[in-house]
Amino acid sequence: MDGFEFDNHRWARLYPELGTGPVPIHSYISPEHYAIEIERVFRKAWLMVGRVDEIPNPGDYKVKRLDVVKSSIILMRAKDGSVNAFHNVCSHRANKMISETGNETFGTARAALLACDFHGWVYDARGNLTGVPQEARFYACFSKEKAGLTKVHFEVWEGFIFVNLAAEPPTTLEAYLGACGRHLAGYPFADMDCQFTYSAELRCNWKVGLDAFSEAYHLGMLHGRSLPGSFSNSQEEVQLFGDHQTTALYLGAAPRFTPTAALANSLATASLMARHGASMLPPQINPERRPEFGFEMTGVFPNTIIHVTEGIWFTHQFWPLAHDKTLWQGKYYVAQPKTNSQLWATLHAQTITRNIWLEDTGTMEQTQEGLESGAKPELLFQDDEVFLRHNFNVLQKYTAAE
Amino acid sequence: MAGLLPENYQDLEPFAADWCLDTQDERQRKRRASTAEQLRSFYAAISPRISEILEEVDRFPIGQIPPSHRPLFSLALSLTEVAPNVELYAGSPAVPHAFEESRMKARHGDEKNWAGHLSRPNAVVVASS
Repeated sequence: MDGFEFDNHRWARLYPELGTGPVPIHSYISPEHYAIEIERVFRKAWLMVGRVDEIPNPGDYKVKRLDVVKSSIILMRAKDGSVNAFHNVCSHRANKMISETGNETFGTARAALLACDFHGWVYDARGNLTGVPQEARFYACFSKEKAGLTKVHFEVWEGFIFVNLAAEPPTTLEAYLGACGRHLAGYPFADMDCQFTYSAELRCNWKVGLDAFSEAYHLGMLHGRSLPGSFSNSQEEVQLFGDHQTTALYLGAAPRFTPTAALANSLATASLMARHGASMLPPQINPERRPEFGFEMTGVFPNTIIHVTEGIWFTHQFWPLAHDKTLWQGKYYVAQPKTNSQLWATLHAQTITRNIWLEDTGTMEQTQEGLESGAKPELLFQDDEVFLRHNFNVLQKYTAAE
Repeated sequence: MAGLLPENYQDLEPFAADWCLDTQDERQRKRRASTAEQLRSFYAAISPRISEILEEVDRFPIGQIPPSHRPLFSLALSLTEVAPNVELYAGSPAVPHAFEESRMKARHGDEKNWAGHLSRPNAVVVASS
């Protein structure tokens, strides 16, 4: 039938529009292509920059650097409880309002007011300009009402804060996420209130990083040591939602737990390798409540992957710094341990997770060097690398559009 | 000279000076700087006692481990760092076939873990002047 054998080519059968041919490497190595991506992807798409629970109290702020669009964004909680987003730029002479200490800077502003260190202009958490030293010495062109901080379009979905850098966003966030947003809706993200953040600057294109985390094909080989027998090597229930994508990864039939892992798994739900219940999964995730369900992996175009399972969720994000340089951030969320032994078990799961992510990131710079060598003009994707192929097609759609 | 560990754990005292490390960054650095032999002897000594140690520290509520027992808990936490290398990586002090560990940053890496609650999403809080 059509030259396809059902088991091996099921995703190509389900999504024939993606094609099955080799994929050219141009977009991974070309500075010109990267310049187009900045304008047509990163200045137009909704970008996930944080969570509302990162700024729980009035005056709390998070400053997020978005180097790809040469911007720094302040996310801030106001006294009325609202979340606000604006450029980290003073209206006076464009000085940075908050000096960053890294890609993400957290803090609490006294009385929920921000003061510029340069000349002392003061803004409230809604971005309104409330104080200007020597205000009378400015001229007629100055109006306090019009000199608030520059607002950034933002919307919140399931506690995630997304920004859009377009002058007018082409769609609402709800329309942008579409069925993908509905697929993960209802998962209790906020209940996992313990977060580990790892990050690294990688000498590779952002899509090399994204690709490496977007398929299960590599689990058996690359993670053969750290995850012995833990996962089935194939993806299940692949669904494409417009520009986004989701799949389930199943646990292996015969995982081999080390003595330390077995003890840790008996104490806390913090390890992806252990069998999980399904009490907190919304009905559309693992709909048949299969016991071998490991986790759901959902790609949100362009640069975010969200994974959820019982008691654990985690994200990977790939922030371009240049055509061949990327900031990777991995964030892992579990419930706060209630006892010291649970804390021990949680840190064991964290150590294994970090090691797996070291194995993943270990491939990326070598892949970039291989791509840039010119040895191969194109890449070969198998059926379970369907997300990579889908991402390539979606990227083509964006970069072809004005 | 008095040891770092409580009375019933004097047999582990030879490991205390090196491995009672409060933060993940310290434990990771120590593991990377060790030999396979050192990792195996640490694992061989601590692993059989780990359940007993966790029962001992669970006598205290999370975040309220007294100074007398903090080194014991930190010693137990070093097992979480060392165990994968002994159990899964044939004693290799490095994670095999992996990214340069020193280039991957952990935002929570300098938290003293006996202090209890692990990183909250807004963990790094500095008052704005």
